[in-house]
Amino acid sequence: MTSEVKPPPPFIGAKRLSPVPVNPDTDRADPTKLAPHQEALRQAMLNVFSAQKARRSLERQVQHISPNRNLAEGIKILFDDKGRPPANVPLEDIVEERRRLEYHIKWFEGILAELRNRLVRVKEVEDYAFEMLSRSSADE
Amino acid sequence: MAAPLFLLAPPRSYTSLVNAMLGQHPQAFGLPELCLFNVEKLVDLWRGSEGPVSENGAVARHGLMRALAEIYGGEQTTATINMARAWAGAREDWSTGRVFQEIVTKIHPLVAVEKSPSYTISKIRMQWMYDAFPDARFVHLIRHPIGQCKSLMAINEGAFAIKVEAIEFREDHCVLEPQIAWYDLNLNILEFLQTVPADQQIRMRGEDIMADPQRHLAELAEWAGLRTDAAAIEEMMHPERSPFACFGPVNALFGNDPNFLAGPTFRPHKPKVPALTDAAPWRDDGGGLYPEVIEMAKWFGYA
Repeated sequence: MTSEVKPPPPFIGAKRLSPVPVNPDTDRADPTKLAPHQEALRQAMLNVFSAQKARRSLERQVQHISPNRNLAEGIKILFDDKGRPPANVPLEDIVEERRRLEYHIKWFEGILAELRNRLVRVKEVEDYAFEMLSRSSADE
Repeated sequence: MAAPLFLLAPPRSYTSLVNAMLGQHPQAFGLPELCLFNVEKLVDLWRGSEGPVSENGAVARHGLMRALAEIYGGEQTTATINMARAWAGAREDWSTGRVFQEIVTKIHPLVAVEKSPSYTISKIRMQWMYDAFPDARFVHLIRHPIGQCKSLMAINEGAFAIKVEAIEFREDHCVLEPQIAWYDLNLNILEFLQTVPADQQIRMRGEDIMADPQRHLAELAEWAGLRTDAAAIEEMMHPERSPFACFGPVNALFGNDPNFLAGPTFRPHKPKVPALTDAAPWRDDGGGLYPEVIEMAKWFGYA
């Protein structure tokens, strides 16, 4: 630990390692200033990154789809074969388990809220469509 | 108002844990990641989610919303988060420095402790912090480059490395190279701290805090002018007691690293410190750290 910075670090003013030029207005690397071939390579890397991210995200979603299995696996550590908690289960594990279950509940509440929200919107569209239908049949 | 204490570090440098630990000091208030100084005006946190402002999406606002809900509403619920949005809406034209000052005034006499790793992306952001709080204290928290980079690549597929353009061009393709982020962000911090008086800054290795938290947290508390009695130190050993050390309500879930939110309890351990000449585990070519990174890591005291 040092409370005084003496002498100044030898790196002050050194060139950054990022090959992307810095925009002086934002003091941030600005990819729009790359050469065209570098920009193309960077874009290809971003495409691969996005594809991998989507695939891994999907894998995680699939895990959430089978919540019963996950919950059963989670609770298993807290109970022995007679349904009693082990005498020496660490308090931290119990607290973590409680938190994990709370997060599961929040997750489901979030999904429920989103589904309800979509249901309301779909009902509005449905009501509007029926209203239009009834108007057109009355006109006929 | 009490001068705040800011942690400056690239992400994955023990910042969440150390921030929550310091924030549990009886004379301090540990805030979540407010990300306020990502932008100059509060309304800009609601503008854009792509390109240069991509880190200012909805998730970047979760910490601020949770902090406002807790401080002004006394709890974090969907209702108080909505109240926090209204609070922010009424101040949308304020500078983010003024907003932060209002929060600090509200929690006075407690010392605000905050870290948002996104501040280190640009010296301009750190300058905004300093302009708003000329008497603020800054803790430069460092972590071994191999440990930090490994951790960075494990979270959100290494997306942060993209934000700071930490890429390495090869002959016919390019790859993410997190050690570029480690170096460039630490360089930003070092250069910014050149403008801050010596008695307002301190540098500490995260591994040292993890290995001997009582000693190093006491040193930090003493430097920050806070109590160093046993009760205060003991309280700092419980980051999980922070109201922000858990997921928030569904309309503001995060405000910190999700790994920390899922398991904020501190378990004393001595982190393994790899040799600087070791192969970098995220590289597919068996390569190691760049010479510049090794030089800076040595200067930070890593052998």
